[in-house]
Amino acid sequence: MAASPRSSKAPFRRRHQVFWHVRHALLVLWALFALFPTFWMVSTSFKDAGEWITWPPHWLPQEATLLNYKQIFAFGELETGLSRSATDHAFNIWKALGDSLLVCTLSSLAALLLGTFLAYGISRFGVGGKNFRYAVLTLRMVPPIVIAIPILMYYAILIPHTTELLFGTRISLYDTYLGLGMLYTVTTLPFVIWMMLSFIDEVPYTLEHAARLMGAGRLYTLRRIVLPLVASGMVVTFLFIFILNWSEFLLALTLTQPGVSTLPVLLNKFQSAVEGRLYGPQAAIGTVITLPVLILGILIQKHLIKGFSFGMIRK
Amino acid sequence: MASGRKHKRLVAWLAQERVFRLIPFIMVEGLFIALMAIPFLLTIYISLLRWRANRPFEQAVFSGLLNFEAVIYDGEFWASLGRTFVFAGVAVSIELLLGFCLAMLLAKEFAGRRLYITIFLSPMMVVPVVVGYNFSMIYVDSGPLSQILAPFLEPFGINPRIRWLSDPTAAQVAIVLADVWQWTSLTFLIFLSGFSALPPELTRAAQVMGASRWQIFRRVQLPLLKPVIIIAVVIRGMEALKLFDQSVLLTFGGPGTATQTIAFYLWRQVWQFNKFSFGAAASILLLLLFAVVIYVGIYLLVRERATLRHEGSG
Repeated sequence: MAASPRSSKAPFRRRHQVFWHVRHALLVLWALFALFPTFWMVSTSFKDAGEWITWPPHWLPQEATLLNYKQIFAFGELETGLSRSATDHAFNIWKALGDSLLVCTLSSLAALLLGTFLAYGISRFGVGGKNFRYAVLTLRMVPPIVIAIPILMYYAILIPHTTELLFGTRISLYDTYLGLGMLYTVTTLPFVIWMMLSFIDEVPYTLEHAARLMGAGRLYTLRRIVLPLVASGMVVTFLFIFILNWSEFLLALTLTQPGVSTLPVLLNKFQSAVEGRLYGPQAAIGTVITLPVLILGILIQKHLIKGFSFGMIRK
Repeated sequence: MASGRKHKRLVAWLAQERVFRLIPFIMVEGLFIALMAIPFLLTIYISLLRWRANRPFEQAVFSGLLNFEAVIYDGEFWASLGRTFVFAGVAVSIELLLGFCLAMLLAKEFAGRRLYITIFLSPMMVVPVVVGYNFSMIYVDSGPLSQILAPFLEPFGINPRIRWLSDPTAAQVAIVLADVWQWTSLTFLIFLSGFSALPPELTRAAQVMGASRWQIFRRVQLPLLKPVIIIAVVIRGMEALKLFDQSVLLTFGGPGTATQTIAFYLWRQVWQFNKFSFGAAASILLLLLFAVVIYVGIYLLVRERATLRHEGSG
């Protein structure tokens, strides 16, 4: 009688332990797979030219060097020993970094402001009708290439022609900060609206109602009651769409050449170099692009689901 | 003094409900119309012209529906479209399966769970262009992939330094693999939150009633997770159909047209061959085709969201 529970429990525990090991083996395997490409890039970025492609490949640089970083961040004339060879023009990382920061920050801010106020209107007054939020979602699902082609013709043909008629000068939005920035604002607005909707919906309406009853004006209520409660949500939303804009490639590639160039476009210029790809500097640029996004992403990790699933799933 | 009063009156005007409701709406709608609707009308007009960018726009002649006819009879258009759907289908199903399994393994609390989650989510935050570059490094003929496979290939006298991306099939696998690497993290995230939202009472009740683990999973958890699964399918599917970045960075559509997705095809027609009116016609056709897909997607999302809401409140 006393032996039977032990004998039934022992195999259970063994099975449990086996399961524990299998689980961790699988998880470690996937973790290695998930980390490997990034590890390889960082490792390559510290390798000297001779080690970029050798057989067998070196997993870690044998002589770690900062040469690649020096090369991409160098100003003006290079010291001897730092050669830029064929892809000289492509090295303008400072400009790309500045362009990326400028366009992404401003357009994300604009989208955040517009989107937050619209989300407030949708949440509280049902602005735009019941299905407006889904109509906004449609926009996000359209493939960006279908947006890029009309925008190209619009920026490069219709707007210059119109301004010539109206003001006598041709103003083109093609290859300008404004052109790209406005497009980024529009393409990220759906995300802002959806994320902010899920944050604003959580603010109890009774709070606002109480403030209104006590005589607070609408703007005052919004500024003093609603905005402080959703401020952290706004930060998360901003970071999320900043990451999206920072990674955006298709629109930047197609609508800006060569005046404005963002970091992804810069990286692509290297890739298409025909003679002797510069793996090392490329890896260094890749690391520079990835690092800020990775840090921001880990900071807002908990909220990523809200952005990527359009608030369909709450966490 | 006067300006202060004016300011006050402006604030009072702004605080009126109808104004307050309308201003953000009008601004956003205006932006949408200026940047989406007008360009789209222009595109329709251009698609009816016979025009390439090597001639001035003013000299273009009206050609009716010739461009649409050209697109419809262009085999490459349909091939790229089909290829995009195949890539998306394969990649998304692998991502869903892997994401689901990983989320299941991490559904319960245990030591080290948070670290695993952070690592598993990191691919999502890597810029897609960099993913393309990273995988192109891995697939280099003397890269790590060849090295890992070398012990299996060398005994058969095969030189392990294979140019992976020169082979059409291997290149296609590479594209799908890069997508799986990056976006399994998203399906994992969606399923993880789905699992954590499962009410534990139901599972416990089933346990008490003597249900086996498999029965609990099949009869209790899976039906409850259905809305989450559908949301993951729609969201990932929509994104996967936009595949472009890796196509450019990893393989540049090649070898031949083996990895040319529809976005890459259109980009090539317009930005490399300057076939503007052809590209305009193709993008309108593509939008019409996608409208059906998008409608179905939104319909599914709305329906599943309603059931999620219902369960959440009830």
